[in-house]
Amino acid sequence: MQETKKTQQHISEIADFIARYLSYMLGAGVHTSRVVRNSKRLGTALGVDVSIHTSQKTATLSVSSADTPVHDTRVIDIPPFPISFEWNADLSALSWAALDDNLSLEAVRGKFEELVSKPKMNPFFVLLMASLANASFCRLFGGDIWAMLVTFTATMIGFFTRQHLMRRKVNHYIVFIVSAFVASLCASSALSLGIETAEIALATSVLFLVPGVPLINGIIDITDGHIQIGISRIVNAFMLIISMAIGMSITLILVKDSLL
Amino acid sequence: MQEIFWNSIAEYNAATWYWQIAITAVAAALALVLWFRPSKRAKIAAKVFMVLLSVWTAFVYYLGFCSARDYSSALAIFWCLVAASWVYDLATDFSSFRKSGKYGILGLCMLVLPLFFPVVSIARGLEFPQIATPVLPSAVALYMLGMLMTFNSKINFFAFILILHWAVIAVSKVEIFDIPEDLLLAAACVPAAVIFLTRALKSAGQDTKPKIFRS
Repeated sequence: MQETKKTQQHISEIADFIARYLSYMLGAGVHTSRVVRNSKRLGTALGVDVSIHTSQKTATLSVSSADTPVHDTRVIDIPPFPISFEWNADLSALSWAALDDNLSLEAVRGKFEELVSKPKMNPFFVLLMASLANASFCRLFGGDIWAMLVTFTATMIGFFTRQHLMRRKVNHYIVFIVSAFVASLCASSALSLGIETAEIALATSVLFLVPGVPLINGIIDITDGHIQIGISRIVNAFMLIISMAIGMSITLILVKDSLL
Repeated sequence: MQEIFWNSIAEYNAATWYWQIAITAVAAALALVLWFRPSKRAKIAAKVFMVLLSVWTAFVYYLGFCSARDYSSALAIFWCLVAASWVYDLATDFSSFRKSGKYGILGLCMLVLPLFFPVVSIARGLEFPQIATPVLPSAVALYMLGMLMTFNSKINFFAFILILHWAVIAVSKVEIFDIPEDLLLAAACVPAAVIFLTRALKSAGQDTKPKIFRS
């Protein structure tokens, strides 16, 4: 009886940890099959079997002991973290380290805390880099130096608006509409200069909003058989694209109907 | 295109010169009050003035006198966005409009620069009313930049990046519309961008330190 109680407590602790692990991975934008694979690997390293069901906002996790009939189930909310390729790589490596080095639960948990508490990227640095990236896109699509400069500053204003509204926890569809409107409106000032590539500046100023990761993850999930969450991700990505289009259309209606 | 541009400036100056003198006087008075007798009322008055100045540029200058230019409505909406950034600042009481002890002299120089717009125009042989004045968009942006730089304890960063965007437009106007006066704004934006962007980079970096490592 005492032994079963101890095992139950141990399984509960493992279930709590893996639930946290997978919620961080799903929240950071990792595609589902990788999350499932890594969580199962972590379970194997800790001596338990792991079964997972995922959806867009929640995940269900069942952990059972291989030796005893003890099992534990968790239903967890997926937190909306920003996309993080760093967490994706680090947390995947952690599951391999746990298996290869036969780490204990305490050791894995300690490393996990260390990884997720690493300093996040400076948001202002991200703002500058996103603006540079959009200016580069403008050049790739044939924009001249003036169009590139306008795209750079217009993206800066749009991205800053997005960061500010997201910090204020405004609905993310509204954030996309407002950010697309502000960025494209600022870029539309290039039209008044009469430069030939002003329309390229207008079109590329909103590219920072394209939800690339959800679109790619959605396709990967569907091809890997996680059709429900794959469709959810694609629908979510399309909703964001529609929001972006609404924001840009408002600018075009106000400024240049003929581009619509 | 260049002719339409300068004709619209001439019409604007001829019709509003007395208003422009009044606006310049109020702008100077507000800067002096904030410098010598800072108070909450002065701060609110300065922000309200920024809103009115942006609205003036949008409606009187762009929609009133520049309607012959292509896409003047786009620039009018842009200046409404600048006004919105000051309204938001006013509502949230964000920027402090207080001196920080740094860059005050640089800020004062920027505040004086709009007065050099007509001087440069006259120096290159232009005559009133076809000259750049302190109440044209680039000079207004320069005044706002000067206010941000002089009273830089806590600034309206959104207004700053809108001014930075306007400086980019101003630089391209130098070549396209032959208005070298706008270089004053571009030149002032270089040190301002270095100071404000470096400061923003540092202060945003403080939040990235994980809680468990904070003392």
